[in-house]
Amino acid sequence: MAQKAATLAAPPAAPAAAKAVDHWGIAHIYSSFNNTMVHITDLTGAETISRSAGGQHVKADRLQGTPYAAMQAAAAAAKVAKDKGITSLHIRVRAPGGHGARTPGPGAQAAIRMLARQGFRIGRIEDVTPVPHDGTRRPGGRRGRRV
Amino acid sequence: MMAETRMTTMIPKDRIGVLVGPKGSVKATIERKLAVAIEVDSESGAVDVGLRAEAPDPSNTLRARDMVQAIGRGFSPERAFSLFNEDNTLGIIDLHEFFGKNESEIRRVDGRIIGREGKTRRIIEEFTGTLISVSGHTVSMIGTFDGVSTAKDALEKLISGRQHGTVYKFLRKRRAQTKKEKAIGLWEGQPVAPKKS
Repeated sequence: MAQKAATLAAPPAAPAAAKAVDHWGIAHIYSSFNNTMVHITDLTGAETISRSAGGQHVKADRLQGTPYAAMQAAAAAAKVAKDKGITSLHIRVRAPGGHGARTPGPGAQAAIRMLARQGFRIGRIEDVTPVPHDGTRRPGGRRGRRV
Repeated sequence: MMAETRMTTMIPKDRIGVLVGPKGSVKATIERKLAVAIEVDSESGAVDVGLRAEAPDPSNTLRARDMVQAIGRGFSPERAFSLFNEDNTLGIIDLHEFFGKNESEIRRVDGRIIGREGKTRRIIEEFTGTLISVSGHTVSMIGTFDGVSTAKDALEKLISGRQHGTVYKFLRKRRAQTKKEKAIGLWEGQPVAPKKS
């Protein structure tokens, strides 16, 4: 839209103006030990631009969470987002959280690296893992997990 | 642009000295190699990892945090530095998850995992190609994704009370299996970074 306006208004200023425009998006990366999901939205977070998950790129269940699958997912999501004109990304990394794992799985790093490598400018990286303010009880009971 | 990316973790107070290192050398090495800035609050044990503006790779923040956590979980700096390798990941098992607050159970299982003179730990390390650290209520592993998940399976078997022999047998079987899969499936799922763009 900005490009169109620029060409209509003032031809000499157009190239500079078009260059200066940054189209920001947010990459929500959900990374558990079992899978990685990359979901690119606009800045409000309400409008999806593209999304992809590790499980869409590998055949076996146990490969879903691998860094390799995460890379493929990030590359696929990035490609669509680029076609739609996104040039820069903020990143929100999320682990399962709650009473589960608090640290992002192995796919998170791979996904971020891939997004950076695809030529996006990376803004902030934020950890948005949900932390319970005394939420639900962990499974396992008082005597711990017994097998 | 100034990217303000920060991440905070807590490490035990008695590991702060190791993280900083003699004359700050360990901290300096991490900061230099990953282009991050590490701030340590030695009162509380909070460690703040921030990405420096000129950093080439933004995922370094996570990597640096993993490294801080690895040192906090009992790895020596030399062993934690194997995380500089991009293929390696860190896995942590929390024994509180299995035994609640039962300290004596946790001490017993620590011993089971380490084995006599470190025998069991050494065997798991050798079979899975990982580095393992048992420290208090956590067991942590550094290695490739496959190695860490195999080690995790083996450790969970030990924790849940399987005999050591059973676990060794499991490891041997798993290694034979991965060897076979590697031979068959060289074309798929090989974690080689496909460089595009």
